[in-house]
Amino acid sequence: MPTSAFGKIVDAQVSRRSVLAAMGVGSLAAALAACSGPATGDNLKNNQKTDVDWANVVPAKEITWWSNHPGSSKEIEEGLIAKFTAETGIAVKLVTAGANYDEVAQRFQAASGTDSLPDLVIASDVWWFRYFLNGQIMPLDSVFDYLKADTADFNTTLFNDYEFEGSHYAAPYARSTPLFYYNKDVFKKAGLPDRGPAMWAEFEEWAPKLAAVLPSDGAPLGMGVGTSWSAWWMSNIMWGRGASWSKDWTVTLDTPEAIEAGEWVRALYNDNKFASIGNDTQADFAAGFFGCFLGSTGSLKGILDAANFEVGAAFLPDGPVGPGVPTGGTGLAIPSSRSPEQQLAAAQFLAFLTNAENTAEFSKGTGYMPVRSSAMTGETMTKLYQEIPLYKTAVEQLETKTRTQDWVRVFVPSGDQILTEGIEQIILKNTPAKDAFAAITPRLEQAYKENVEPYL
Amino acid sequence: MTAPTTTEPITSYTSAPQPETAGTAGSAGIAGASGLSQGGTPGRPTGDQPRTATRKAQQFDVRKWKQYLTFLALAGPNLALLLVFTYKPLLESFKFSTLQWNIGSPSARFVGLQNYVEFFTSPKTATVMLNTAVFTIATVGGALVLGLALALLLNRKLKGRGIARTVAFAPYVLSGIAVGILWLYIFDPRYGLLGTALGWFGITSPDWYNSSPWALIMVIIVYLWKNLGYVALIYLAGLQAVPQDIYDAASLDGASKSRVLRSITLPLLGPTTFFLTITTLLSSLQSFDLIHAMTQGGPLGSTTTLMYQIYQESFVNGRAGYASAAATVLFLILLVVTVVQLKYVEKKVHY
Repeated sequence: MPTSAFGKIVDAQVSRRSVLAAMGVGSLAAALAACSGPATGDNLKNNQKTDVDWANVVPAKEITWWSNHPGSSKEIEEGLIAKFTAETGIAVKLVTAGANYDEVAQRFQAASGTDSLPDLVIASDVWWFRYFLNGQIMPLDSVFDYLKADTADFNTTLFNDYEFEGSHYAAPYARSTPLFYYNKDVFKKAGLPDRGPAMWAEFEEWAPKLAAVLPSDGAPLGMGVGTSWSAWWMSNIMWGRGASWSKDWTVTLDTPEAIEAGEWVRALYNDNKFASIGNDTQADFAAGFFGCFLGSTGSLKGILDAANFEVGAAFLPDGPVGPGVPTGGTGLAIPSSRSPEQQLAAAQFLAFLTNAENTAEFSKGTGYMPVRSSAMTGETMTKLYQEIPLYKTAVEQLETKTRTQDWVRVFVPSGDQILTEGIEQIILKNTPAKDAFAAITPRLEQAYKENVEPYL
Repeated sequence: MTAPTTTEPITSYTSAPQPETAGTAGSAGIAGASGLSQGGTPGRPTGDQPRTATRKAQQFDVRKWKQYLTFLALAGPNLALLLVFTYKPLLESFKFSTLQWNIGSPSARFVGLQNYVEFFTSPKTATVMLNTAVFTIATVGGALVLGLALALLLNRKLKGRGIARTVAFAPYVLSGIAVGILWLYIFDPRYGLLGTALGWFGITSPDWYNSSPWALIMVIIVYLWKNLGYVALIYLAGLQAVPQDIYDAASLDGASKSRVLRSITLPLLGPTTFFLTITTLLSSLQSFDLIHAMTQGGPLGSTTTLMYQIYQESFVNGRAGYASAAATVLFLILLVVTVVQLKYVEKKVHY
C-alpha cells in the first residue's frame, strides 16, 4: 500500500524533525543557562546580611581556597593546611588563582554568579571593598563569635581595615606596610650611618653620596611603579606633607599640599635623579643597582635570601609635617553565595590560619606582620626578633607610624589604577603634578559616582 | 613537512568565501528543508496523483533529506559550538554594552548608548586606536616582508635546511606568556643581553619598559620574532607550489633573479599573501598574551591596544559595560576589514 510506505516516511520525518527540534531547543537552553548577565534595575543597594544559626550547621568536609601565596608562601600555606586537616578532618584545596592580588581579584570577579567560586579568597586592601559593594563576601562577625575566634586580639588597625557599618568583611592575613630597605655595604662605602634616614630631607642630603658609589645606570633609591604599589608608597609622601588622596569620598588632589608632594616626587626622579625604577625593582636592589629601596614587609624574607650583601631595614622617612605609613597587604574573605556548611568550614579554617601560633609561623616564613597582638609579643616572634632584628622594625612601624588609607585609593573601584596613572605621568613623563592630578581627578570622581555612590 | 599538506588549508580557505560554493551549500540545505515540509505535510491528497510521480517526488525528497541530514551531522556540532561560544557571547556583549555594570555585581543600570558616546569622546581612545594601528601595521607588514625573505632563504637547497626550518618555526608554537617573560630579560637595560650587545657598538640601551615609544617597539619586535616562523612556513609551501617549468622558461628567456621574483614568484604567491594578510591581521588585532606578559599595556597606556583595553576596562577597572562597548567597536573593525579584504583585495589576487 502506498499509504503505508508513505506513512512510514511521514513517521520517520516527524521523528527526525522532533529530534532536530529537540537538538535546537536543547542547545539554546544550554546556551542561555551557560551565562546569565546582571539583572537591570534600580535596586543596587547591597543589603546582604547573614543571620544563620551557626550552631545548627555542620561544617563541610572539603573547601577550596584561592590564593596567590603572598611572599612566596605556597609551602607555608600547604603546611598550615596539613595541620588543619589533621586537626579537624576538613580538607582544603589550595588553588593558585593568580600571581598577585589583582589577578586573583580578576578571576574572582569573573567567576561571580557561577558555582565555581572558592570558599575562601584573597581580598587585598584595594579589592575587598569592591567585593563588598558587589555583595560577594559575607560579614564574618557572627560566625567568628560562634567559633570564639577572639577578634579582640587582632591588631585593631589591621582588623578594622575591613570594617564597614559595624561589620567586618575579611580577616587580616598577609598584612604588610612599606619598609625602607638599604644596602649596608653601599651605605658604608658612602660614609653614611647604619640606619635609614629619619626624614626625606635627610635622604636628599645622603642621595648624592650614594650616587657617587653606585653604578651609573643605578640610582640612590629604587621606588617602582605599577598598580597596587605606587599609590601605596606615595601615600607616605602625601601624608608626610599634610596632603591626602581624599577626605572621605572627596578627592583632594587640587590642594597645595598634594601638588607640592607630587612635585617633590617629580623632582626626585626627573630633576635630581635620586630615584629610579626597574622592570623588577626588588631584583635590581638585590643586584646592587640601588642603595636603598621601598619594598613591602612581605618581601623581607625574599630580599634577605636574594641579596648577597647585608640588608638593613628602617621605617619610612617622615615628611616635614610628620610620619605616615599606610598598611596594606591582604586579608581573606568568605564568598556570600556559598552554602552555610561551606562558609562555616571556611570560617573555621580562617580562624585557624590567623590564630596566634599560625600567624607567627606565617610571619616568620614571609616577613608579613603577625596579625594578632598576642602573636606580636609571643614566643615565636620574640625569638625571631633576636635572630633577625629586621622583623621587629616592621612591627614597631605598625605600632607607631601607621594610619588608615585614604578612601579613594582603597574603596573606589579602579581608584588605585587611576592614581597609579597619575603617579606614572609624574615619574615617567615628567608631567607637572598639577596637570597630572587635574587629569585624574574627574576620572576618580566618575568612578565613585558610577560604582560606589549608587550602591551605598 | 611537505608542500601539499600545508597548501591545502590555503586553497580550501580561499575557495570557501567564493559566492558559488557558499551559495550552493546554503541553497541545498534550504531546498532540502522546504522539500521536506511540502512532502511531509500530512493530509495532502497524494493518493489522487499518478503513482510514478509520487514515487519520484518521494525519492527526490528522501535524497534531499539525506543530504540535509548529512550536512547537519557534519556541520551541526561545529555550528552548535559556534552558536554557544561565539554568537551568543557576541549578542550578550552587545547587550552589556548598554549597561553600566561593575563586573561581579549581580545588578546593573541601563544607560543606553552612553558607553559608546564616552568611548568616542574619551581622550584615551585616540591613543588606543593609534597604538592598535601602529602595532597591527608593523606586525602584519613586518611579518609578511621578513617571512617571505626567510621563506626564500629556506627554499634554497642547502644542507641542514630541515633543521633550519624547524628552528625558524619553533617560536610560533611556544606560549606567548613564556616568550614575553623570556624577552623581558633580554631587553632589561641593566643586565639584559640586548643592552650588552648594544654596548659593543657604544649605544646605550633605551629604557624599554618605561619609556614610550620603546615599549611598543619592544612588543612589536617580540611579536615578529614569535610569528615569523608561521608566515615563513606558509610562504615556503606557496613557493614550492610554483611550477618549476615557469622558472625554467624564465631562465631560458634570460630573466634576472629580481625579475623572476617580481614577475613570477610574487604574483604566483598572491593567494598565499592574501591568506596570510587576513590571518595575521586578525591575530594582530586580537593579540593579547605578549602585551600582558611584557608591559601590561604600559607605560602609561603606550602599549594598550584596543584588545588590551577591553581586558583592562572589564577585569581591572570593573567597567564591564564600557569594555563591551569597546569590544563591539573591535568587532565592527574586524568585520569591516575582513569584508573589504574579501570583496576587493581578493579580486586582485592571481590564482
